[in-house]
Amino acid sequence: MSARILVIEDEALVAMELRFVLEDLGHEVVGTAGDAQTARRLVQETEVDLALVDIHLSDGPTGIELGRELGQKLGVTVLFMTANPGMVRSGVAGTIGVLSKPTDERAVQTAVDYALRRRAGRPVEYAPPELQLFG
Amino acid sequence: MTTTAWNETDRLAALHSYDILDSEREAAFDDLTALVARLCDAPIAVVNLIDADRQWFKSEVGLGVRETPLETSFCRHALLEQDRLIVPDATLDPRFACNPLVTAPDGLKFYAGVLLKDEGGLPLGTLCVLDTRSRPEGLNPLQTEILEVLAGQVMNLLNLRKALAAGRRADADLMTTAAALAESEAKFRAIADSMPQMVWSTLPDGFHDYYNARWYEFTGVPAGSTDGEGWNGMFHPEDQVRARERWIHSLATGEPYEIEYRLRRADGVYRWTLGRAAPIRNDNGEITRWFGTCTDIEDLKRVVDAKDLLSQELSHRIKNIFAVVSALIALSARQFPEAKDFAAAVRTRINALARAHEFVRPHTDASRPTVGTMTLHAFLNDLFKPYATLAGRMRVTVTGDDASFDDQAATSVALLFHELATNAAKYGALSAEGGAVTLETRNEGDRFILVWEERGGPPVAGQPERVGFGSSLATVSVEAQLGGRLERVWAPEGLRVTADLPATALSRRRAAQSVA
Repeated sequence: MSARILVIEDEALVAMELRFVLEDLGHEVVGTAGDAQTARRLVQETEVDLALVDIHLSDGPTGIELGRELGQKLGVTVLFMTANPGMVRSGVAGTIGVLSKPTDERAVQTAVDYALRRRAGRPVEYAPPELQLFG
Repeated sequence: MTTTAWNETDRLAALHSYDILDSEREAAFDDLTALVARLCDAPIAVVNLIDADRQWFKSEVGLGVRETPLETSFCRHALLEQDRLIVPDATLDPRFACNPLVTAPDGLKFYAGVLLKDEGGLPLGTLCVLDTRSRPEGLNPLQTEILEVLAGQVMNLLNLRKALAAGRRADADLMTTAAALAESEAKFRAIADSMPQMVWSTLPDGFHDYYNARWYEFTGVPAGSTDGEGWNGMFHPEDQVRARERWIHSLATGEPYEIEYRLRRADGVYRWTLGRAAPIRNDNGEITRWFGTCTDIEDLKRVVDAKDLLSQELSHRIKNIFAVVSALIALSARQFPEAKDFAAAVRTRINALARAHEFVRPHTDASRPTVGTMTLHAFLNDLFKPYATLAGRMRVTVTGDDASFDDQAATSVALLFHELATNAAKYGALSAEGGAVTLETRNEGDRFILVWEERGGPPVAGQPERVGFGSSLATVSVEAQLGGRLERVWAPEGLRVTADLPATALSRRRAAQSVA
C-alpha cells in the first residue's frame, strides 16, 4: 500500500535520504519539516497518513509533544525515529513506537509497513525487531 | 628532746608561704611590739620568726638588729613548747645558763614568749619579751593576757597580709587572662572579617550570636537582626525546613553540619550557598560552641551545569554527524548505481559505529538507551536485534561476564561484531533458517575472552582461500587497536572465533586513570 508520509527531521541530508528511501518503496512524501511549527502547518495543509518524527528538532526536543498531538488530535499515525529512544522509554500516547537511528532501509520498510497495517486496522502478528512498540 | 606533732619541713613551708622574711618594717607590727614592751615593762620585745638557720625579726624593740643566729635563740626552745615559754631566771635554767646572751654582762635573765601559730597549728615563731633582770614571779596575769592577745593580733596581721597578697596575685592573673582573651578575640574577628566566606558562631544550643562582616554585607540585614533563630528566615522558603532539620540533627548528635541551600542576598536574589559548621569541645568533650561558614556556590553550580550541558551538546552533535555521514553516503551512491553494494557495506559499518558511540557517550537520565545498562552486553544485544526472528527471538545469544567499554574501544567492538554478524548472515549460521550463534564472554584473570560460535548454518568447507576485507577489519580491530588476539576455527559444524583481550582493553582510559 502506498501512503502519504510526512518526514519530521532537522538534519536536511538525513531527511533527504529518508525521502528517497520512502519514495523507492512507493510512498508519497508530502513534505519534510525541521521544526514543530512547520510540521503542524503541513498537516493542516495536506492529508498525512504517517509521520516519521525525530525527537530533537531545530527548535529543541519538541518532537515528543508534536508526535503526541499528531497522533491523538490530528489523526496521523506516528512513528518516532531517533537516536535517543530512551527519551520516550515509557511510551507516548497516541503513537505506535520508536525506531532507533541509525536504521537501514529494510528496518524502515518493515516499520512503515507495520504502522500502515495498524492504521488500516489489519491484523499484525509481529513487529519488526528494530521497532520498539509502545503499550 | 620533746617530740612535736609537726615536722620542720612543713613548718618552714608554712613560714615561707607568708612571704614575710626579709620584708620591710611595718608600722602595724612595730606598734604592737612597742605596746607589748611598755605593758610588760620590758626593755626588749620582738616579733620573731624562726627560719631554717636564723631567727629573723619582723619587728623589734631594744635589740637594734633584724636577725641573729639560732644557736643562742630562746625562741628556738619555745617552738618545742605547746603554746608558750616562760623563763623566770635564765641563769637557773639548764637550757640557757651557758648561753652567751645570758652570761654576758647585763645579759638576758628573763624571757616570756607566746607561739605564733598558723591555722594548721604550725609554729612560725613567737611574740616575746625579754629583760635583763630576772623575774621569779614571771609575768602578772594581765601581762600574760596581753601577750596572748597581742600574739593573736600578730597572727591576724600576718594572715591578712597573706590573703591580700594572694588577692592581688589573683587579680593580676585575671587581668593577664582577660588581656590574652581580648587579644585572641581581636585576632579571631580580624580573620573572620577578612575571609571571603560568611562566618557565624552559635552557643551549644544553636543560638546564633555572632556573624562576621561578610554576612551583613551579603544579606544587608541590620546588625543583630538574625541572632537567635532569625537565620532561617534568610533561606529560600523551599530550603528552610530541610536546613532547619539538618541543623537540629547536628546540634543533637555533634555531627558536622553541611548543606546546600539558597540564601537571600541584600538585593533579594537567592544564591546557592554551601553551609558548613563544626563544634568545638572542652576538656570534658562537651560542645561549647559551633563555628560555621557560608560559601557562595551559585557560580560554581552554573559552571558545572554549563559543563554538563556542553558535554551533552557535543555528544549529540557527534551522533548527528554519524547520521549525516551515513545519509551522505547513501545519497552519493544514488548517483553511482554500480556503487550501491559498496555504499551499503560502508553504511552498515558506520551505523554500527554510531550505535556503539551511543553506548559510550555521556548521557543524562533521559537520553540513556536503557536504565543503567551502558555495557558490552547491552550494546551487543542492540547490535544483533536486526537478526532476530519475526517473533522477536534473538538469534545471537549473549551470555557470560558483562563488561563496560569506553569510547576508545567503541570503534573496535562495533566493527568486530558487525563483521562477524554480517558474515554469518551472508554465509554462516544466520543465513540458514535454523541457524543460531552463541557469544560467550568471560573474565579470566587479567584477560577478557569472547567466543563466537555458529551452529546450524551451511556446512563449513574449511578455511577460505582469501581473507575478506571484513575479516581484515576485524583482525586489525582486535589485534592492533585492542591489543588482543583473534583466532578463527572453521570447524565443520560452524565457525568459531575467539577474541582474547587484555582485561583493560575495553576500558583503557579508566585503567590508565586508576594507575595514575
